[in-house]
Amino acid sequence: MGEVRHKSNKPLQVNPIKLSQPMGATLAFLGIDSCMPLMHGGMGCTSFTKVFFTRHFCEPVAIQTSAVTDAIAVLDGGDYSIVESVKNITKKVNPSLIGLHTTGLPETKGDDVRGVAEKVEFPLVYVNTPDYEGGFESGWALTCKAIIEQLVEPSSSIDAKKIVILPHVSLQPIEVEKIKQTCESFGFSVYALPDLSTSLDGHLGEKQAALSSGGISVAEIKQLGDATLVLTVGDSMEKCAAVLQEKNPAMRHQHFSHLSGLEASDGLIELLLAESGIELPQSNIVRWRKRLQDAMLDSHFSLGQTRFLVAGEPDQLAGICQSLYEAGGRVAVAIATVDSPQLEKIRAAKVLVGDLEDAEKLAAEYDVIVGNFHCEALAQQLHKGLVTRGFPNWEQVGNALKNDLLYEGGAYFLFECANVAEEWRTHKASSDQCQS
Amino acid sequence: MSSKPKIRELLNESGCAHSSSKKVACNAPTPGATTGGCAFEGAQISLFPYADAAHLVHGPMTCLGASWETRTTETSWQGRDFTQMGFTTDVNLNDVVFSGEKKLIESIDYIMQHYSPEAVFVYSTCVTALIGDDLDLICKQAAEKYGVPMVPVHAPGFVGGKNLGSRLGGEAVLRNLIGTKEPEKTTPFDINLIGEYNVTGDMWQYSHLLDELGIRILSTLSGDGRVADIRTAHRAKLNVIVCAKSLISLTRKLQERYGIPTISLSFYGKRDTSNGLLSIAEALGDADLIERTKELVAREEAALEEKLKPYQKVFAGKKAVLNTGGNKSWSIASALQDLGIEVVATAVKKATEADREKAREYLGENGVLMMNPGAEQAKLIDERGADLLLAGGRSLYTAIKKRIAFADVNQEKKKSYGGYNGLLALAEDLKNSLENPVFKLVSRRAPWEK
Repeated sequence: MGEVRHKSNKPLQVNPIKLSQPMGATLAFLGIDSCMPLMHGGMGCTSFTKVFFTRHFCEPVAIQTSAVTDAIAVLDGGDYSIVESVKNITKKVNPSLIGLHTTGLPETKGDDVRGVAEKVEFPLVYVNTPDYEGGFESGWALTCKAIIEQLVEPSSSIDAKKIVILPHVSLQPIEVEKIKQTCESFGFSVYALPDLSTSLDGHLGEKQAALSSGGISVAEIKQLGDATLVLTVGDSMEKCAAVLQEKNPAMRHQHFSHLSGLEASDGLIELLLAESGIELPQSNIVRWRKRLQDAMLDSHFSLGQTRFLVAGEPDQLAGICQSLYEAGGRVAVAIATVDSPQLEKIRAAKVLVGDLEDAEKLAAEYDVIVGNFHCEALAQQLHKGLVTRGFPNWEQVGNALKNDLLYEGGAYFLFECANVAEEWRTHKASSDQCQS
Repeated sequence: MSSKPKIRELLNESGCAHSSSKKVACNAPTPGATTGGCAFEGAQISLFPYADAAHLVHGPMTCLGASWETRTTETSWQGRDFTQMGFTTDVNLNDVVFSGEKKLIESIDYIMQHYSPEAVFVYSTCVTALIGDDLDLICKQAAEKYGVPMVPVHAPGFVGGKNLGSRLGGEAVLRNLIGTKEPEKTTPFDINLIGEYNVTGDMWQYSHLLDELGIRILSTLSGDGRVADIRTAHRAKLNVIVCAKSLISLTRKLQERYGIPTISLSFYGKRDTSNGLLSIAEALGDADLIERTKELVAREEAALEEKLKPYQKVFAGKKAVLNTGGNKSWSIASALQDLGIEVVATAVKKATEADREKAREYLGENGVLMMNPGAEQAKLIDERGADLLLAGGRSLYTAIKKRIAFADVNQEKKKSYGGYNGLLALAEDLKNSLENPVFKLVSRRAPWEK
């Protein structure tokens, strides 16, 4: 772990990778079945968000806006726009929940969202997520916290076979599913909050985007209080567990900064062995561990001579960098969207909060980029290899099914990185030859 | 005086056909029942294609974070392509409380020192408009300091929709750029292309034809545009609005101030492209030019017919249902008809009165104008025996259920369907859709379904 810069030293962002807090909130609500996310602000925030996720997931995305206009911004404290929105939404569809989240506009003028929310006679969770604070990760985490606070019923009993997973925002739907399945294979019933694995996983169904088409149900959320164990994945989620424990002090908490690579995967399996009393995991898990070991060895030669730039959300960086590190990948630079305590733990020579202009300036320090779609232009311009990961990825299909974690995903991830690195080296060798 | 345009005045655009009937687009959005972008997005769409200018968004992260590098507006600008870059002040709580002006000034300095663009467009957004940061003053001082245009764009999202935002973008150009520079030379056939953004290179599908005719594109707003050119726009002989009604206020004012007449047209499909070229020639009023245009159009149409021949068999007797909005409700219909496809229905729910009339004209008496396409399209596919559904992604399931081919009308965001050659691209894509077995296969009964 190397040098860490917690704050950008520029007045502006140039080619940002940072995403806003309300967008993280929207995505969290999309992990609840039949939910209607309602973004409180100007209609553009909602429109941008809808298009953003629709293109990333190649799926219709449900979301509505309170459509605050200039006149309303001055005259209204949120009462009119929110109450009117709920009325108009429920005229057309019957959501199980309305997920009210704010943007910079109503927060600047000081709307009393909580006060208005209490007046609304429809199942609703509210959360304050101005986009001039925090980022994608905190928007998702704050929403998860608000959902727990406002929906989960207090409990004094414990179901010894029930586990709650609180995943961070950058985990793709299939990754959430893999965590759930792994826990289930030890005999637990498992609930993820939010759960994108059954909503935005890209399944063919009769979807009209009227409401979210899957995810954890409101009834299931209400009953989360009797779980024996809550697992948080990603440092942004750690605090959410405490809120859940307030609903039932007997519930225990285990935290994982990420679930990428051999060490972290072993950590989860160790825990599950201890919790379940089972002595040996199911055969496919045992098998996949051996495959990951082999993948690490097969890819180590390539990765060991490759310098990486990884760009993304802090929790996502932690996992990717650890995976690469374990097989010898040299993460020269990790660029985080926002500050986080996680940055101190990231396995990289240099960790900084920044943008893709920073990446451009550090071009001499790396060979292959792991980052979102915006890195594509950068990779082309600088002749670097690219492994596309993170939000948004508008150019590729199948994002929801990209699995990088635990033994199985880890093996595939290392192979992909090593193959991209080798391809990059071949290209470089031939273009070096042309030049000489 | 503030450079903020009068919104009310822009909303009551006398050039709008519907302004007397108080219908459509320009009304306030309904909370909880609204789709579509905001004024900021509209301004961004209309100005971002200036690739030689930096576009600095003064606001929090949603405004730019989710919107940069979203549109493939191509440019031939040899310098760094700023249309595919994102600059934002990313204001934080501290800025909201104590003003974001200092940050804005420093950001402009940073951009000038590191990128030296030909101009900087500075966009206000909801939050920075609400806290009252003085964009006009900051831009004025920066322009004096650096000697390049600094254009404040007052289109915060909360003033209205995309359409209004585009007008406000046009307004900013009119107030700050047009008429501030004289062209090196003028020709009798100088035109401005207004509302052509060269998305996926649409403009390049026909600009070479204008070139061949000796019609010079003096400036554009803003496809493959240059700031230096738009500053000379007041010397054009004709304004050509391409498929964008939103900039009608701008062209009306150009007519009032500089006496430049305006025509409105589209370059979508064979007929529209030919009509478009001819109407430009006619508006420029030169008999020889008109004659040469007629010859060129005949030549291009003949060449296109030849290239389309292999498709005739594929499309013969094929029927399509079209579910899209605005002027696409007739412009795509027209292109489909050019290919020999019968358009049995088109959606007009999100179209203006004028668009509806035009759709009726193209589809004829037997064509159905769908007011509620979501509910109607499935039924019409059965009744009319349609082979193809062209719609947005969320209608895909309807096509699969009906086991007919589907084409995403938004594909054009990736690939140009404009001009004569665009029709070939459309033909190829539709052929591929019609021949693709996926729409029939994918809905196969699962082995465990009874």
